[in-house]
Amino acid sequence: MFYLFVSPWVLGFVLLTALPLGYALLVSFTNFNGVSSRWRWVGTRNYTELVRDTDAISSLMRTLAFTAISVPLMVAGGLGLAVLLNRRLKAVGLFRTIFFLPSVVPVVAMAIMWKLIFNRDGGILNAILEKISIGPIAWLVDPNAFYALIILTLWGLGGGMVIMLAALQGVPVELEEAAVVDGANRWHVFRHVTVPMISPIIFFQIVTGIIASFQIVIQPLLLAETNQVGAVAQVPQSTHLYMVQVYQEFFANNRYGYGSAMLWVFFLVILTITLLVQRSSRLWVHYQVDSEAER
Amino acid sequence: MTVVRDPARPAIKPAPPTPARRPRRPADAAGTYLLLMTLAVLFAGPFAWLVLAALKTKAEWVALPMKILPEAPQWGNFTRALTEINFPAYLGNSLFLSFVYAILITFSSAVVGFGFARLRGRGKRPLFVLLLSTMMLPQILTLIPTYVLFAQVGLVNTYWPWVLWGLAASPYLVFLFRQFFAAIPAELEDAAIIDGCGYGRIFIRIFLPLSRPVLLTSFLLSFTWIWGDYIAPALLLDPDHTTLSVAISAFYRDPHGNPDATVQAAAATLYVIPVVVIFLFAQRYFIRGVVSSGVKG
Repeated sequence: MFYLFVSPWVLGFVLLTALPLGYALLVSFTNFNGVSSRWRWVGTRNYTELVRDTDAISSLMRTLAFTAISVPLMVAGGLGLAVLLNRRLKAVGLFRTIFFLPSVVPVVAMAIMWKLIFNRDGGILNAILEKISIGPIAWLVDPNAFYALIILTLWGLGGGMVIMLAALQGVPVELEEAAVVDGANRWHVFRHVTVPMISPIIFFQIVTGIIASFQIVIQPLLLAETNQVGAVAQVPQSTHLYMVQVYQEFFANNRYGYGSAMLWVFFLVILTITLLVQRSSRLWVHYQVDSEAER
Repeated sequence: MTVVRDPARPAIKPAPPTPARRPRRPADAAGTYLLLMTLAVLFAGPFAWLVLAALKTKAEWVALPMKILPEAPQWGNFTRALTEINFPAYLGNSLFLSFVYAILITFSSAVVGFGFARLRGRGKRPLFVLLLSTMMLPQILTLIPTYVLFAQVGLVNTYWPWVLWGLAASPYLVFLFRQFFAAIPAELEDAAIIDGCGYGRIFIRIFLPLSRPVLLTSFLLSFTWIWGDYIAPALLLDPDHTTLSVAISAFYRDPHGNPDATVQAAAATLYVIPVVVIFLFAQRYFIRGVVSSGVKG
């Protein structure tokens, strides 16, 4: 009975996750171009080429840099907003709604909205900057596009905020009270009681944040000045992230074999980083032993 | 993991005013409000700017110095957004795909969630760990090879991929259902088993009706995933059969081939409104979905 009930997911996993990944692994050892049936095995050539491909390597470095900047900002921002809203204030619900709403906006609409803001001439950002005699700045070209992408990403931090808020509400009030009785000030309570208590959630946010950040491909494509579908060539250097490079190899250069090798290398990179973060968690993540975990 | 409550509802243990949480001085509260309001303007600003752009003439949009408000609201931009491209057809495609996918994946995930919550089988634990770890697998990694495979078997430019994805259950929704089902008392199904009820009927007659809030959460979340998805339709569907998300991102062009910013803004407004409205009415369900995804120990 168990197998019957879980079979939709098991079949789905085999056919729609494991099979495509395995297929990509096979294709990564060929020179397949997506259409021609006259492909052949090329051994590890795609991989050895990738090691020397400066475009690919620099796009990987850019992705790591983007992640290293945006994920801490996202997590800290989400936590900061959650702390602000975890108080007995009037209209807290309204503020929570306003902060959370952007995280449900579809990526296409998000890109259109931010292009209107970052627009060099009609955009409101430059209009505001002009008031303080800065600009006009071309936000969507190098090197500023990188910061534009970070701002757009940060706009969606409300999703993390509601998770943090739920976590904060799970912290037993008695613990914080006890710390105050012992003479701790607000910052100390936060730093030494609240943060350790919610550290599993912070950890989880960091892991999912890293994975989400590595996946970014659509935003740079849509933010590029003209966004003909698949017009990878228009993407500025500074937002030419690794997945944009993969997209380009597949759909602009028709190098399916090479693109598949890039996907597999990325898969291994992400796996390694996730495991490293997991390792580091032993040092700072505080797990409560409680019956819930022992289900 | 500690129990995490739906933040949209009052906490189970209503927090008494504590030194840690209560703003202590009036000036403190005023400062907090000032900060919150500034942030609210930053977060809501893009919505306002989108609507303002949608109501401007083309000349007003590029005017220097900039005009914040349009002279007269250009409702015509909305009419043009609806007629310049085949908006109703793309809307239909988006609605159809989102609806079919949401129904299928909600049902399939509930079935699998029931299996993991209430049934026994060898290898259940490793399977569940595998399920959780696939949530960590970036979907973009599988999407491109999936597209290549679908192209080889002639599924490109059909709606079958969404049916297949829908039938395959989502690890994330499985987890949502599993958590909910696991909390339902065993007496209910024990009684049903004594009455000679099979697990199929127990699931349909007892567990599904009890899980209406989770079903709704799952439906709303998965509906908005497809409604908002760009890359799958961009890869799999040709321009005549694609969804609204792809259409509004690229199809609005002025006669010179440049993006038609004000009409596109109007179209984007129409495209976002359903999401915002659903969200405002069902905020509780969204938050429940997001929170339960983020809070597994």
